[in-house]
Amino acid sequence: MTITAAPQAPPDRGLRYFARQQTPWSWVTLGVGILALMALFVGAGAILTAYGWTQKCPPGSKAAECTTTTPLVEGLLSPELGALAVAVIGVGAVAAVLALLRSRSVPNKQAREAAIAGAVIGIQAAVLAGVLLWFRGSNVEVFARNFLDVRLLREFFPRFVSGAKNTLILSVLGAALGFFLGLVLALFTLSKRAVIRAPARLYINFFRGTPLIWQLSFAGLGVVTALRLGFFSGTGGPYKVAIAVLGLNLAAYSAEVYRAGIQSLERGQIEAARSLGLSYLQSMRFVIVPQAIRRVIPPLTNEFVILIKDTSLVIVLGLAFFQKELLGVGRDIYNSTFNATAWLGSAAGYLIITLPMIRLVTYLERRLRSGLTSVVG
Amino acid sequence: MSEPIVRLQGINKWFGKLHVLRDVNLDIYPREVLVLIGPSGSGKSTLLRTINLLEEPTEGKVFFEGQELTDIHTDLNAARTRMGMVFQQFNLFPHRTVTGNITLALQKVLKLRAEAARQRALQQLGHVGLADKAGAWPSQLSGGQQQRVAIARALAMEPVLMLFDEVTSALDPELVNEVLLVMQRLASEGMTMVVVTHEMGFAREVGTRLIFMDQGAIIEEGDPRAIFANPQQERTKSFLSQVL
Repeated sequence: MTITAAPQAPPDRGLRYFARQQTPWSWVTLGVGILALMALFVGAGAILTAYGWTQKCPPGSKAAECTTTTPLVEGLLSPELGALAVAVIGVGAVAAVLALLRSRSVPNKQAREAAIAGAVIGIQAAVLAGVLLWFRGSNVEVFARNFLDVRLLREFFPRFVSGAKNTLILSVLGAALGFFLGLVLALFTLSKRAVIRAPARLYINFFRGTPLIWQLSFAGLGVVTALRLGFFSGTGGPYKVAIAVLGLNLAAYSAEVYRAGIQSLERGQIEAARSLGLSYLQSMRFVIVPQAIRRVIPPLTNEFVILIKDTSLVIVLGLAFFQKELLGVGRDIYNSTFNATAWLGSAAGYLIITLPMIRLVTYLERRLRSGLTSVVG
Repeated sequence: MSEPIVRLQGINKWFGKLHVLRDVNLDIYPREVLVLIGPSGSGKSTLLRTINLLEEPTEGKVFFEGQELTDIHTDLNAARTRMGMVFQQFNLFPHRTVTGNITLALQKVLKLRAEAARQRALQQLGHVGLADKAGAWPSQLSGGQQQRVAIARALAMEPVLMLFDEVTSALDPELVNEVLLVMQRLASEGMTMVVVTHEMGFAREVGTRLIFMDQGAIIEEGDPRAIFANPQQERTKSFLSQVL
């Protein structure tokens, strides 16, 4: 008996291999499921676009005479859309039945997975179509007028952009302050001296233990005026208070993240540094902190995403018109138009900012987990 | 005999209620290769770490080059630059290159200029046979190579005493020798060394003095060959019979 020692390439298990394992039955099941979902999205999009999403109304016209969302309502209630939804439910059900019919005689794992995927996609399409039918039975006109008025978003687009700009300024400056102060606090909480640890713990527990909205109100409405802090008064005052409080609050949370990062390093790192004659502070600065920061970049980015959303709480401070952030802009527009589509504009703004950050966290976590110690340089 | 480099005087150490070092008195002289052996938990690593005060003794005094390290007025960081230490787990700084590991203390503690520090690092890397790894990251090296970098890092400070804490225990068997060879050459060059080890061959061939510890106390002390051939104490006998 001989042993083949020469290494061999792994067997091809790519998409092409997956396709070769399919049977006619599994192809049809997968195809029908995908067809149901595509038909729903493409068909509904085409029908709504054909009817139109919005229309122009002469200025000053009353709701009874002209509503900008009338074409959309007509599209949503059209018989075409109803027929499409019923058809999609039917096609989706076919995919599910096809998968069930032959599930016992499936030849291999790949064919079974494709058939199951087809059935699941078909059921998802059917459920969505069902929701659409139910929605058509509700008060579509009122809903569309209040929540789906695209014209409103277009009209107030510059305001939303300005709001997004302020949201970004508040969160970036708050993060700069918070991430720096947080590191200092973390080092304090790791001191061997109780007199240094205690105040840092007190600070962290206070800011983690009270609501941010309380901290903002208390600072903005009470502390600043009572202490006659000139820097925080005037038109720019509330804006500066917002950045300061957001930063002070983030410092408490990020301090805990830094502390966990520092404590996750092996004891041997500081022992090696100290045995080379580096002082405690030098060891921290050149050996411990640089490594800890690399480890906590993903959780700190996560804290940053939370901060972006928390900037909405500065709404309690009463910022000037040009200082309003996304939620404030949304509320202003709602208050002047009584149309809730404004809130959706705010939500879209937050998502455009936060989704890339959330992706970044996932990417950084994967990169750190793969064990590349030299990731950042 | 000349003045001792290290003098441990009446050292006692407790971890909580655990008495890990019991009345240890020890002088270490220039050019000695002192080997500490003993069962795990016998306190040999703690004793070694007491020499550069990584462990502070609960009682007793530590002298280094005539200076009392346990005196709070002593500049401990300055004293530590004259004692190199190598660890079981290497403890290289993973965020710095091989050269960066060596130059850190040269620049920040000895205040060498960048170029001078780099030259000294390259020279030390040459001595441990790793000149070609100067730009590598620690994670790209084998365990044996990492440990040799750790030795080079300690030697670059030009210490008068080297402390080795079970430096081959974390290595794969085939990598042990390259590290022992570096240590052996260092001993032949006259470096004063204190070595905690389980490598009995190294202890016998390279050591100039052997100390057997058990339960925090020095049980037996003397010439390595003599002790290996003819241990005087019962506990030494039973320990050696198990490891040889």
